[in-house]
Order: sequence, then C-alpha cells, then structure tokens
Amino acid sequence: MATVTARAPAALETESAVEISRTRALWTAIRRKPLGAASAALIAILVLTAILADSLAPYDPLAAQPEIRLAAPSWEHPFGTDDIGRDVLSRIIHGSRISLWVGLLAVGIGTVAGMIIGLLSGYCEGRTDLVLQRLMDGIQAIPGLVLALAIVSVLRPSTTNAMIAIAMVIIPGNSRIVRGAVLSAKQNRYVEAAQAIGCRHPRIIVSHILPNVTAPILVIASIWLGNAILIEATLSFLGVGTQPPDPSWGLMLSSTGRAFMEQAPWLALFPGLAISLAVLAFNLFGDTLRDAWDPKLRG
Amino acid sequence: MYKYAVRRLLLAVPVLLLSSLIVFGLMRVMPGDALTALMGESGNIGERELAKIRKDLRLDLPYHEQYLLWVWQMVSFHPGDSIFTGEPIAVSLAKAIPVTLELAALAMVLGLVIAIPIGVLSATRQDSASDYVGRVVAVSGLSFPDFWLGTLVITFAAIWFHWIPAIGYVSFWESPLRNLQQFLLPAAVLGFRLSAATMRMTRSTVLEVLREDYVRTAWAKGLEGRIVVYKHALKNALIPVVTIVGGQLGVLLAGTVVVETIFALPGMGRLTVEAILFRDYPVVQTNVMLVAGTLVSLNLLVDLTYAWLDPRIRYQ
Repeated sequence: MATVTARAPAALETESAVEISRTRALWTAIRRKPLGAASAALIAILVLTAILADSLAPYDPLAAQPEIRLAAPSWEHPFGTDDIGRDVLSRIIHGSRISLWVGLLAVGIGTVAGMIIGLLSGYCEGRTDLVLQRLMDGIQAIPGLVLALAIVSVLRPSTTNAMIAIAMVIIPGNSRIVRGAVLSAKQNRYVEAAQAIGCRHPRIIVSHILPNVTAPILVIASIWLGNAILIEATLSFLGVGTQPPDPSWGLMLSSTGRAFMEQAPWLALFPGLAISLAVLAFNLFGDTLRDAWDPKLRG
Repeated sequence: MYKYAVRRLLLAVPVLLLSSLIVFGLMRVMPGDALTALMGESGNIGERELAKIRKDLRLDLPYHEQYLLWVWQMVSFHPGDSIFTGEPIAVSLAKAIPVTLELAALAMVLGLVIAIPIGVLSATRQDSASDYVGRVVAVSGLSFPDFWLGTLVITFAAIWFHWIPAIGYVSFWESPLRNLQQFLLPAAVLGFRLSAATMRMTRSTVLEVLREDYVRTAWAKGLEGRIVVYKHALKNALIPVVTIVGGQLGVLLAGTVVVETIFALPGMGRLTVEAILFRDYPVVQTNVMLVAGTLVSLNLLVDLTYAWLDPRIRYQ
C-alpha cells in the first residue's frame, strides 16, 4: 500500500518532470559534446544573421555597381563582388533569410501534416491505416528531389512552391515515425485505463499519446531542417526554386558561381560554404538532440 | 525464400500503381487542364494549335481514360512524344538511360570503395586520429551539396590543371578511355556523397559486432586480427549496411539529376531537368514514373538480398 501512495503523486508530476528532464538532457548533451555545442552556436549565429540581416549586411544585396564587377575579396568586399558588382557577403547574409525561412516553413508544414497522418494511421489502425500508409508508400517511391522537381514543374518555379514541394517530401517519413510512436504508446497501460474509464478519443490523443510522440518528431524535424535547406538550394541551383534577383545561396552558385568560375572562384566558394555550414550545423544538432532524447532512433 | 520473394513482389505492385496515380494526379492538379496552363504561359501558341496538341495528347478524354491510356503506354514502352522536340520519348530515353546507369554504377562502386575500408578503420581504431578524420569526412559528405562539390571540382581542375571536362558524350564502346575521363569526376562527386551514410553505418555496426561473444572467442583462439575483422566480424556487420546502401538508391538517382546537369552528361537526370524547364510534361511524367519504378524494383532487390543474407527475415 505504501508503494501505491508513494507513486500516485509522482505520476501526477510526470508531465512537468518530462519537460524538465528533456531540457536537462539536451543541456547535458550540449555541454558534454563539443560538436553539439559548436552546432548549437552555429545555428544561433545563423538565426541572428537572418533576423539582423538588414543591419549586418554592409551593402544592399540587390544594388549593382558595374564598375567593380567580379572584384576579388578585399577589405571593402570581404567575399568579393559578382558579375554586376553586387556585394557577395551582403547577398549571403540576406540569403540566410531565404534558406532559414524555407527550411522552417517546409519542415513545419511537413511535420504537422506528417503528424496528423501518423496519428490517424496509428490511432485508428485498420483500413484508415492501410489506405494512408500505402499512399505514403506511393509518395516515398519517388526520390525526394525528383518529387520536388515534379511538384515545382506543375506549380511553376518560386520560393513558395519550392517550400510546398519540400514539405510534401517530408510528410511520408514523418508520418511513419509518428505512426510507430503512436502504436507503441497505445500499448501503455494508462492509455488502456483512459479508454476503460470512457475518455473521448481527442482527449486520449492529446493528453496520453501526443506527449510520447513529441521527442521523435522534434529530433526528426531538426535533422530535416538541414535537408530542407539543401533541397531548396538544389532546386534554386537547378533554376526551379528561388528566382533572380533574390539572393538564394543555391541560385548564387548556379547563376554566377558557375558562369564565372575561372575568373572569380569566390563566387562559387562562399555560397557553397554557407550552405554546407548551415546543413552541417543542423545535422550535428539533430545528432545531439537524438542522443539526448531518443537514442533508439540512432542508426 | 521463393514464397518470400513472391510476397514482396505482390506488395510492390500496389505501390507502383499508387505512385503512378500520384504522378498522373500531380500533372493534372492545376485548375483547368494542365496543358492550357503550361503552354498558355509561353504566349507563343495559338488557340487552334493548343486544341490540336490537346487532341494529339488525348487530353480531351475523361481522366480515367487518360490514366488507363498512359499506364498502357508505359507498360507497352510507347510513352508518346516530347511536346518540345517532337522526338518519341522512348528514343530519348534509350539514349539517356545508359549514361545514367553508367554514372550510377560507377558512383556506387566508388562510394563503397571509399566507405567500407574507412568505416572499418574507424571502428577498429575507435577514438584515434584516423577515426576522427573518418568521421569528419563522413559528416562533410552528408553536408556538402553535390552541386557545390561538382562546381568546385570543375573550377579547380580548370584553374590548377587547365583541364576542362570534354563536351559531347562518348560511349564506353566508342572510346573507353575518353568515356572514363568523362565519368570519373562526376562519379567520384556522387560516390563521395553516397559514401557518407554507408561509412557511418559500417563504423557503428562493426563496433557493435566487435563486441559480440563470438568475436571474443575468435580473438581468444589466437586468430590474426585481420582474419577476425574481415572474416568473422565484417560479414555480419555488413547486413545492415546493405539496407543503408539500398536506402541510398533514392539519393543516388536524385544525385544523378544534379551531377549530370553540372557535368553536362546527357542522362535521364538532365533530360528531366530540361523537360521541367521547357514544361514538357509528357517527358516529366514518364521520367518521374520511370525513376519511381526503378527505385521500387531496386528496393525489392535489396529486400531479397537482405533475406538471402539473413534467413531470419524470410520467416517473419
């Protein structure tokens, strides 16, 4: 009897305890792993750069100065200038906005849609599950980039459409992970107890199932952010994402980087470096988050 | 094994049908009909020509008939003509597919040649300098965009060695040397990207297997280190690696799109990108479906290999 009374208040506190332990686990992981700390710092810099782009950028990213076209890196223009004399550093700083914005929105849409499909699939099981999951199989049979290309080709090239295409690519994988988490959460005794005392489905989903799904979904979302930035850059590089004159990193590489690569290799070097660092930061941060919150997802 | 193969084959059919429905639906998702929207934008096609094209492409038929017709065209290898060049799609595909196949196969081989030895070395010398180097290489492979690596390779090859990739594709049978010269760099760029995930997986599975009892027994018997690692540990460690390599096929096919565009190789990827830029939707539709079909078949092959390597899977 003593054990029962001792456990009851603990169970009531579980939810807030989970929150605290998650933050603490992440904090411990970041402190213990230097790579985790470095990636968190890089992401912070990236986010600040995007927010403060207007005050950080030394020049207007769209202002052309033909008299200094293709100027090599110097004190005035640390990353050089492009073929019509625009400052490459300012364009990269403003480009961080497009990359982050597309990444965040695409992953946000993809995660929410994937979560709804996964919840429906895992919670309802049966025919709903079968239909939804086969549909996801059908989408997943098309490689992500090719699917994104096909979607953009129908919707016409633009930053917003690239974002929608990337979100579509994210949905199937996310729905599958949420479905798995829901299926295993349903095995818990407290879900059975909630069903037995006649709780309504929305309440069971929100209070008992959803808390089990948040950790894997956040881990996957952080890893997807890097990928989303990469796909946006690839679509823009291929000419079907962000359109000129907007400074997208992928577009900068294809429009000027390739055309003038022999005279001005910095035009290809710096935007690519920016993409790689952003993707690297999100990949490493995703790894750290996974180690801290959900080691089962490893490998 | 036979039963398992048949079951997996039967599961692949509905997936393919669904993908075809998705691709078909996608191409007709726009309000109005796809062609009017796509072609009308260019502004240089008159109303009468548009009606003729619509009739030629059978876009005047009801959707279900269009779908069935398209599936029949795909199955009978006559996917129609390109709107833009007028060339039969089958003809352009016959030229493009060998290029992509060669690139993909070379990239796959190069990727494995880079990944497996470095992965094993990383695991056997865990936490040493070579392990750290290996891990950094793997993470950078995952983070460097292949179009950037490709651009850099071309740029620095031109600046340092005054070497520019030859324009105009030459098949392997015409001139093997020139063909390999054309393919080696793109395949290396693609292979490097592929090697990252395989390398990480090889490292972690080898580490896991090296801690197994039977490996300890092998050490205790006094076997040579190389034999323990390569003969006893690696064989079991490679089973999950096969799955990862299978999962990479999508990355490989998508990678060919980018790499072919950069290195001007006339393969499937470049054909698709060009078709998208020119809004040549019969070509886009056929190519996307073909890629999906290839991926599903290759995944089936990977599953069967997996079942062959690990008998437990067949009985699940």
